[in-house]
Amino acid sequence: MRNTNEMTVEFWSVPQNESFARMVVAAFITGTNPTLEEVSDIKTAVSEAVTNAIIHGYEGMEGVVKIKAVVTGRTVYLEISDKGLGIMNIKQAMEPLYTSKPEEERSGMGFSFMEAFMDRLEVESTYGSGTTVKMWKEIGVAGHSFE
Amino acid sequence: MKSYEVDNEAMIYYLPRELDHYAADSLKRKTEEIFMQQKIKYLIFDFEKTVFMDSSGIGLITGRFRKVSDYGGKVYVVHVGAGIDKILEMSGIYRIVCKVDTKEDILKEMMEGGYYA
Repeated sequence: MRNTNEMTVEFWSVPQNESFARMVVAAFITGTNPTLEEVSDIKTAVSEAVTNAIIHGYEGMEGVVKIKAVVTGRTVYLEISDKGLGIMNIKQAMEPLYTSKPEEERSGMGFSFMEAFMDRLEVESTYGSGTTVKMWKEIGVAGHSFE
Repeated sequence: MKSYEVDNEAMIYYLPRELDHYAADSLKRKTEEIFMQQKIKYLIFDFEKTVFMDSSGIGLITGRFRKVSDYGGKVYVVHVGAGIDKILEMSGIYRIVCKVDTKEDILKEMMEGGYYA
């Protein structure tokens, strides 16, 4: 059996697809034998990144969000990208509680949650042409096994 | 099943199975007018059905909190499972929100606070 597996999925930037994105990633990583908590952590991180792409990247306009997922052994790598507006100041955007949309009651915790629930997070963005969020998580190291 | 209910000055949200940006926005829209029409002092977020939440859920709670805090109101969360508790804990929201096990506990607190007196 191969030790590596990869998938790519693209979908419209509509809020209804946030749950689809979480489900498809959760289903794809099943082979790493994650605990319920690890699945939940990854689903939250995916949800944050996809929601950002939809409301900040495209600001509600039509666009395509792309998720690439790679599993190597028990390492999960996720790449969530959009071709939207991009982020002018990544450092500021990643500050806890910072939000560019306070009037929409955003919590400003998206990147903090991604950082907290994954092992590693990298954000690449070009203002005017889009954002890519890269995240890594090692399954089975936290010791929260239900088995 | 209703997604919310208003009882006098208390509003209870029966949160959905998955509380994400999509669900949070729809709840905000549905209840926006109520806050403009009448005084809501107590907010109760019931997580009984909820198995997933992201930071949009935190935005929903803090946004509603601002609406009741002018009246010296109070915000409760009830039936919080372990997964949801982790998110709430991490967000630091327990500084402004009170977690209780049952709705009876809320009623008790509210009566002690002079509500229903």
